[in-house]
Amino acid sequence: MSRRYLLRHVLHAVGTLLFVLAFNFILFREIGDPVELLTHSTLHLDPSEKAALREELGIDDPLPAQFVNYVGDSLRGEFGYSFITGRPVIESVAEKIWPTILLVGTSTILSTLFGVLIGIRGAWRRGSAFDTGSLLGSLTLYSMPEGWLGMLLLILFVGILGWFPAGGIESTDRLTGFAHVLDVAKHLFLPCLTLTLGYLGEFAIIMRSSLLEVMGEDFIQTARAKGVRDKEVRRRHAVPNALLPTFTLTFYSIGFILGGAVIVEQVFSWPGLGQLTYAAIESLDYPVIQAVFLLSSAAVILFNLLADVLYGYLDPRVKEA
Amino acid sequence: MRGMRRASLALGVATAVVLGLAGSVFGQSASPDEKPLTFHVGTTEDINSVNPFKAFNTSDYEVLLLNYNMLDGFSAEDLSPVPELTTGCEASSDHMTWTCEIRDDVTWQDGKPLTAEDIAFTYTLIVDKQLGYFVDYLPFDPTFEAPDATTLIWKAQEPTLAPTVPPYIPILPEHIWGKFATKSVKEIEGFEPMPLIGSGPFQLTEWKPGQFWRMEAVPDSIFGTSTIDEIVYHVYGNEEAMVQALKSGEIDFAYDVPPTLGKSLEGEKNIKVLRKAADYHTNLAFNFGGQSKAYPSVYGGQPEKKETNHPAIRDHAVRLAIAHAIDKQALADTVFQGAAIPADTFISPDKAFWHLDIPANEEYDFNIDEANQILDDAGYTKRTADGIRIDPKSGKPLSFDIITITNCCESVKSGELMAGWMDEIGIKFNLRPVTDTKAGVDWKYGTFDAYVWDWGGDPDPDFNMSLYTTDQCLGWSDGCFSSPTLDKLYEEQRRTFDRKARQAIVYDFERAHYEEIPEIALVYPEVLYAYSTDWEGWVNSPTKGGGPIFAWRVDSYMNLKPVVAGGNSGADGGGMSTGLLIAIGAIAVIVVVAFVVMGRRRSEEDEA
Repeated sequence: MSRRYLLRHVLHAVGTLLFVLAFNFILFREIGDPVELLTHSTLHLDPSEKAALREELGIDDPLPAQFVNYVGDSLRGEFGYSFITGRPVIESVAEKIWPTILLVGTSTILSTLFGVLIGIRGAWRRGSAFDTGSLLGSLTLYSMPEGWLGMLLLILFVGILGWFPAGGIESTDRLTGFAHVLDVAKHLFLPCLTLTLGYLGEFAIIMRSSLLEVMGEDFIQTARAKGVRDKEVRRRHAVPNALLPTFTLTFYSIGFILGGAVIVEQVFSWPGLGQLTYAAIESLDYPVIQAVFLLSSAAVILFNLLADVLYGYLDPRVKEA
Repeated sequence: MRGMRRASLALGVATAVVLGLAGSVFGQSASPDEKPLTFHVGTTEDINSVNPFKAFNTSDYEVLLLNYNMLDGFSAEDLSPVPELTTGCEASSDHMTWTCEIRDDVTWQDGKPLTAEDIAFTYTLIVDKQLGYFVDYLPFDPTFEAPDATTLIWKAQEPTLAPTVPPYIPILPEHIWGKFATKSVKEIEGFEPMPLIGSGPFQLTEWKPGQFWRMEAVPDSIFGTSTIDEIVYHVYGNEEAMVQALKSGEIDFAYDVPPTLGKSLEGEKNIKVLRKAADYHTNLAFNFGGQSKAYPSVYGGQPEKKETNHPAIRDHAVRLAIAHAIDKQALADTVFQGAAIPADTFISPDKAFWHLDIPANEEYDFNIDEANQILDDAGYTKRTADGIRIDPKSGKPLSFDIITITNCCESVKSGELMAGWMDEIGIKFNLRPVTDTKAGVDWKYGTFDAYVWDWGGDPDPDFNMSLYTTDQCLGWSDGCFSSPTLDKLYEEQRRTFDRKARQAIVYDFERAHYEEIPEIALVYPEVLYAYSTDWEGWVNSPTKGGGPIFAWRVDSYMNLKPVVAGGNSGADGGGMSTGLLIAIGAIAVIVVVAFVVMGRRRSEEDEA
């Protein structure tokens, strides 16, 4: 990979991040004076406290100076205090980030794995009952709203069968050790199943169409003509070349992990970033909204950059283009 | 090939062994004898803070009710004031000084004695710092003294019946909160002690925001010792999840179930649905303007936005026509699925002593023709091309900016239904659905013509009456309504110490409010509870028509017990036992391994 290719993508990512930072800065100040916004909340301030807060927040400084401070604070993870709880935003975010990574991360891995396997099998046996069924299933799952699917699973597995808990990340029995791990797994099952099924279709469809395209390439015919066994053609020649679009999609999906799964977390009362975002939007808790927006944007930019860089390694045609 | 099969078999066996061991470990962790007797409650509303001064929602107030005591409480029968920390209060002849005798047998949850000094400290802190919503209970610049451990002297600058309202104020321990007497409001509101030290029958010992909070029983409180060991409140992201949790036995009680879901629970085994009489009303509250004028004194500066109320709202004929164009019964039947009754006054019928029942023949009946006639007679005869009437004074069409609240009280659906009726009388309701927080911003600047929201209140009507007085503009008033009649009646009842005489003034107030129409009370919605019949000992508060919990008293919590001794339904994570789950997991792993092995063998046989 050329140094120029790498530099171009890094600069592009940094530029995008700066744009997001500036957008966040302007957006937040367009909404109104943060001190006035703070007095909408349940935190009561008298005039002298308001003046002190104005000074603390640097609201009366010139805008460029405010921007420099803001960028510095953001890079240090200082996002201020929640209007509603009064707690440092970074604390709330740090508390919620791991449940989200656990939920969305696990379902991204599972949906990638199963989606790719289904896509490969469907494409390789094009027209078979499995292909028709999996394609129909993938399209259905892909187009199904995750919240609705979650609600159906909730009614079936909780209300009717009574197999899993209705929500939360753990029971209230103060379990420890391996019992706690199993308890979390039990709570994770339904939201994870919902997200996995929701993401699965996309991976299966992309893998299938990518593999079908590769199967028509000359080098596949050549391999077959050389007498390479069918399984080997698939494993060594077709699948690695067809994996590239799925690889990109996987990285994009990982980038979106920090954005949380707002609806599914809400359906299953999963205490993650999605639930935090939902509550913050509902209560106009701007510092929290700002922090989550910035973090999720930064994650998407970072994983896009990683995908671009690795793509360059994996497919030399890209960096030469 | 043989090696592959052996490896797969070993993997399957190993998985089963590991999971089996895990199951036994898990089983050991949950001995029924060691488990506390826990009552599990489901709600969709998390607590906002453990700081009493930041309490504002129903869950916050449930914690206050259980964790603390107040000077006076509410009677079981009709919620009239009854002594709690006091044994009684005596007023001076001018009703400006009240002397209360305080119980000497109450201790804080950390073992220290509760004295009159704690009460004087709490009230003084609130008045000095103008704290939270509590300060309104302490009117006329009062001072509080505790000459000894069992005497509280409350002096006000004007005659008052405030001590008997009674003030809904949790009494705080001075030895914990005393350090805040000289601190700022921000510092006081930032204090989040855990566990929460109070003197009530339960103590908040754990709170995981967005998940659950736990309150453990404290023996020998004023109300005795609870039969349960602890209450765990589970917070659900939506009502459907809460109801499913009740069905699966994860919780024992579901609070505030929507009418549609309530119906789905009817006929469910071991579940009972209870309808609690409404203690609040939904309303169409009008904005009369005046926020800009009141703003500087409240917020210490000029408002950022100008108020935008429509001048025709101030015309009584317009409000009267709107009142005649609303079918309250239809709202109750369709929007609330029958779980509401049409409202007449702003004091709900559960407060029977204070509620004035407007006779049916004097109510504003649903009559579109009459509404049109009222508007015609008032001069609103010209219309726009769209058929909207034009205000003859301002020349503006009667097109109103109506806020509906997305997270409250069926506000959006009620607004939609009303907009249809308004079309029939030449009035346009431009509905603007927003969250309650956003609506609060519009309320602050007066940037709306009316909103569909709700009002609850204390058993005593003083607070609810104050909402419609001039002084409450940017205080608690919906839309800065001002009426000399209501102002006068409000002050009069405040200084009337005979309960029966005060009732007559309150009735006059309700009648005048009904006729002047600062708001239209729409319906009194019922609150639906659903609970497991595995528990008994429910006590409603008030006894007739009240709710068992999330109410005014702690009786249910003190009396609840499982129907079958030791049969605590309880949530251990819900649903299927972990052992069964592990067994299913192990079987699934073995099946997958077998599937892979067989697939490989078939594939190799094909190639052979």
